[in-house]
Parts: sequence; C-alpha cells; structure tokens
Amino acid sequence: MDPGTIVAGILTIAILSFLYGDNPVYKMAETLLVGVSMGYVLVITWTNTLMAVLFKPLFVESQLWLVIPLIFGLFMFGRFHKSTSFLSRYSMAVLIGSGAGVAIPAMLGARTLRQMTATVEMVQGDSFMMIFSGMVVVVGLFSTLSYFYFSREHEGIMGRSARVGTYFLMIFFGTTFGYTVMSRVSTFIGRMDFLLSDFLHLTN
Amino acid sequence: MARLFPQIICGFFGVVLFVLYFLKAPSAKSLYLTITSDYWQIIFAFALLVGVASFIRVNIKKLSKLSESPYVITGLLGLFAMPVMALLWGIKGDSPFMWVFENVQVPLQATVFALLAFFVASASLRGFKARSLPATILLVSALIALLSRSDIFGWFGNSALEFSEWVRSYPSMSARRGILIGIGLGSVTTSLRVILGIERTWLGKDR
Amino acid sequence: MNSRQSRHLAFAGLFIVVTVTMLLNISIVATVSNETKQMFDYLDGLPERSNIIVSFDHEASSLPEMKPLGLVILRHLFAKDHNLIGVALLAEGTGVGYRLMQETAKEYNKEYGRDYVFLGFKPQFIAAILSMGESIGGTFPEDYLGNTTSEIELLSDIHNYDDVAAVVSLADGSLTTHWIEYGNEKYGVQVSAAVAASMLTTYDPYISSGQLKAMVGGLRGAAEYENLLGIGGSGARSMLAQSSAHLYIILLIIIGNVTYFRSRKKG
Repeated sequence: MDPGTIVAGILTIAILSFLYGDNPVYKMAETLLVGVSMGYVLVITWTNTLMAVLFKPLFVESQLWLVIPLIFGLFMFGRFHKSTSFLSRYSMAVLIGSGAGVAIPAMLGARTLRQMTATVEMVQGDSFMMIFSGMVVVVGLFSTLSYFYFSREHEGIMGRSARVGTYFLMIFFGTTFGYTVMSRVSTFIGRMDFLLSDFLHLTN
Repeated sequence: MARLFPQIICGFFGVVLFVLYFLKAPSAKSLYLTITSDYWQIIFAFALLVGVASFIRVNIKKLSKLSESPYVITGLLGLFAMPVMALLWGIKGDSPFMWVFENVQVPLQATVFALLAFFVASASLRGFKARSLPATILLVSALIALLSRSDIFGWFGNSALEFSEWVRSYPSMSARRGILIGIGLGSVTTSLRVILGIERTWLGKDR
Repeated sequence: MNSRQSRHLAFAGLFIVVTVTMLLNISIVATVSNETKQMFDYLDGLPERSNIIVSFDHEASSLPEMKPLGLVILRHLFAKDHNLIGVALLAEGTGVGYRLMQETAKEYNKEYGRDYVFLGFKPQFIAAILSMGESIGGTFPEDYLGNTTSEIELLSDIHNYDDVAAVVSLADGSLTTHWIEYGNEKYGVQVSAAVAASMLTTYDPYISSGQLKAMVGGLRGAAEYENLLGIGGSGARSMLAQSSAHLYIILLIIIGNVTYFRSRKKG
C-alpha cells in the first residue's frame, strides 16, 4: 500500500477516536494539524506574497515605493512590546480605512439595492403562483427587516410584523440546518469512503 | 496623538478608496489596485508572521509543563517541518511539502470537520424539540429539507423535491435576503462611522 | 439512559448506518433537481472554447464534498472544449486545484498551457478579484508551475474579465459572495458556483436576483450532475449512505420529540 494512504488512514482513525472520548492519540493528531496547517499557510504566504509581491519587486526590480507597505507591515511587530504597540495601529488604520472605503459601494450596490430591486421584480409574475410567491417574499423580507429594527419597540403592528419575521427566519434556519446536516454527513461519508476503499480495501 | 494619527490615516484611506472605486482613469485604477492588492497583501502577510511568532512564543512557554510537552513538540515540529521541506525540495507537484499537505493535513482537517456530523446527530436527538411555534416551524423546515433530499429508490418523488425547492426559493430566501440587506446596511453604516472617526473600537485601549 | 450514553448511541448509530450502506456498494441514480439542471444547462450553453475561470475557493476540510463537485464541473467544461484558467483564492485550494485539473485534463487529453492553465494562489481574495478585473497577467505574473504567464499560449488573448465568459467558484464558504460583489458588480463578469450544501441557502438571494447565474451544491448535487453527464462517480456511489444518514437523523429528531412530549405529559 502507498505510504501516503497508510499515514492518512492512521491519522483519520486517530481523529475519529475522539468520538469515544478525548484521548492522547486524538490530541496528538490535533496539535499536529494545527502545526502543519500553520506551516502550510506560512510557506504559501512567504512564496506568494512576501517574495512575489514584496521582496523580489523591491530588492531585485527596485520598485522603491514598496518600502511604504513594508514599513506598515513591520509596524505589526510592534505588538510584541508595550512601548511600540501603538505602531500596529497605523497598519490597522490602512487596512480598516481602505476596507471601509471599498466596502461602501459594494455593499450598497450588490447587497442592498440589487436585492431590493429583485424583490420588487418578483411581484410582477406571469401566473398566480408566481405573483403569490412574490408576495410571500415581500412579506418575508419586510417582516424580517422589522424583526431586526431595534430603534422602535416591537409593539402593535411593528410587534406583529416582527413576530411574522421570526417565523420566516425559522424557516430559513430550519432549511439551512437541513442542508448543513447534508454537508456534514457528506464530509463523513467522504472520509469513510477513503477508509473503506483506499485504506482497508473493503469496497471498490 | 497615538490615537489621532491612526484615525486620520484611516479616514484618509477610506475616502480615497471610496472615490477611486468610481474613477475610470488608468492612474486612478492603478492606485486603487496598488492599495487593495499590494498594501493589503503585504500588511496581512506580516500580520500572519506576528500570529506565527505568537504561537511559537506561547508554545515554548508551555514546554516546561511535562504533561503538555509531547503535544507542544508535535505542533512545533509540524510548523517547522513545512518551511524546511519547502526550502529543501520546493512546494510544487510531487514535493514532500505537497505529500505532507495531501496525506497529513487534508485527511486530518477533513476528518475533524467530519466529526461535526456526529454532533449534528447528537443535537438532533437531544436539542431539536418542538417546544414552541417558532421551534416547530424550524423543525418542520429542517425535516422538509432533509426528506426531499433522501430519495432512496424513488420513495420520495418529484413533488417533495419541488415543494422543498419552493420553500427554499421563496419563504426561506426572503428571510435570508432580509439578513443580507441588514448586513449590507449595517456594513455601510459601520464603514462610514469608521471613516468619520465615530467608531474607534479598532484602536483598542491605551495600555 | 444518561446524556453521555445517549450521545454515544447517536454517534454509534450514524457510524453503523454510513458504514453498512457504503459496504453495500450500491450506486443510486439521483433525481435531478431544477437547481442542478439549471447549472448544467448554463455551463452547457456557453459557446465552445469559451474562456472560463475555475476558482478553487475552499479549504482542505471540505474536500470530501468539494472534490466530487469540482470533478463534475471540470469534466463538463473539458468535455465542452472550454479553455480553463484555474486560480485559488484560499491557500489550501492551491494544491487541491492543481491536482484536480491535472487529473481531469488527462482524462480528456488536454494540454497544459494550450487548453488549461493553473495560476495558483493569490492571497487577499477581494484584492485578487479586483486585480484580475484589470489584468489577469498582472495579478499572476507566474503560473503555479513558475512559467511566465505572458509566455503561456492560452493566456495570449486573455487580459481581464472582458475576455472571460464565466467564473465558476468552487466554494465551501462565503467567497462566492466576493466574486458577486466585486467581480460581477464592478466588472460585470458572470458568476456561477458549485458550493458545499451548507452554503446553498446563503446564496439563494443571489440566484433570485440573477447576480449568481446558477449553482449546484453538495455531494448530492455532484451525484445529480454525474447523472446529467451520464457518468458514474463518488457522488452516485455515496447517495445510499447519504439518504440513509438523512433518514437516521430524521429518526433521531422524532425519537427526541416523542421522549420530550412523553416526559412533559408525565410531569
């Protein structure tokens, strides 16, 4: 058998042993996972970002303007000491500020306006069923939004609307739970498929 | 000053990026990409290095505890082995680095994730009760989703599937859309508050 | 029965149901849902030799679910002779994406550099999506194998999203949202997705608004897609176990509720 399959099989069983209870074998496999994943991301970040985007262009191609993000990057290390920890705020300021600037048009356009437009369009159906379904969406959307509107007491019409919103939210959470079960079961099936066919050769 | 300057920088970058989003001039596009691509990537990469350094520091402190040391050593070995392998044999194709990724990291990570199937099963038995009307709606919706996707030998035909698709496409989707619009509006408000300096929690507390 | 025992019993039941049904080794032809059919028709309807970006936006943890999905999508696209550009917006998608493309390309005798290329990983997904909108070659000066992208035959006529017919995002999380909000909203590139089942309901509003052209989800979606392609695979092979596990979970919910109502009646 391929050594890779043996290693993967043993590690799979080690993790599954957690189902009986926490044990040293599981804990060992878990810490190995933490270390290896961190090592993987470290290597990929080093090669794809620090070498490709920073060090090579800066030191080989002399793109000197890269000194600015380099300085902001180095400021992050300021967090290790009390007296220098304020420096990391400058790096965070660049990330948070630019992130906020980029997010406003995207969130407003793609998430809010396009979704509102789509809701209105749904009411203009060709058949009774389509119009009915469209109305369900309108009621669902506005009642859900009223549930999340906390600037007014949930009393009277607002209270009733928020309660209806709760029912729609429950339908969403229930459906999502169903699909999440499906997803998690699929992952387990995938591991069992590996164990039974590749590792133990019990199936084809 | 330690808080004012970062705030000014934050607001400046926020306004500049917001304006640049709409400009079509090549120089504006280039500046936009420089900040979103190079600045973000580089600062995030350093943030990751800080995270790795913290991980090593915390684990080295734990080494003195005899009961913890085998686990700490295993974690650190995993962490150091990957860069060493990458340095010696590269990271492409059939390198040892990729071998460890495929035969150690992938099975471990996928199996940890697979454990969730069991916790979902346990939660279904012990926590999924029809205690109230909303809880009953939650339960019924979950059952519809699960049943419609369990057509063993065609026991559950097309009608179950179509009904489940309707529930997902209309009532369920409308609630999700409400959440989405809520998040959208919330993000816009928070972003504006950050740019204008009203939201300052990201600055943390002065030590 | 105490809570520890009942938990272990629930665990053991799921383990037995999945193991036994998998040992039976029966493939099921899954009834195709409208959702999967829509995705199939959408990709099938793209003009021949379209340039398509396949983005591996998932982690290693969801591989058992994402691999069958990735395989059916790649098989369909290779069978239709499209030009495929693979990218990864999550670090772990890199190794997985290259392997999947390499495996499926072999099945269809596709040549690297002429019919498909894998550009590798770019950190900061929003930045990567925006950057590719201006220049794909600029975003990835080198491909995954270290070749200069300007010298790759396939990419000679592909500069940015204007030259790309569609993006297929293989995602186990919310990364497809960024393709929609930045790729589609700012640059107008058409986005479709193959996602983990748990993410299907998250993307429903985008399907309804047309921002997401089509999507297929989960192992079941993969099995349905295999059915439409007329090929077998791990999706169809796993459907008996999947369906049985669903029924088992439903049974647990019923038992839990019967016990709850009986205990409420008693006291």
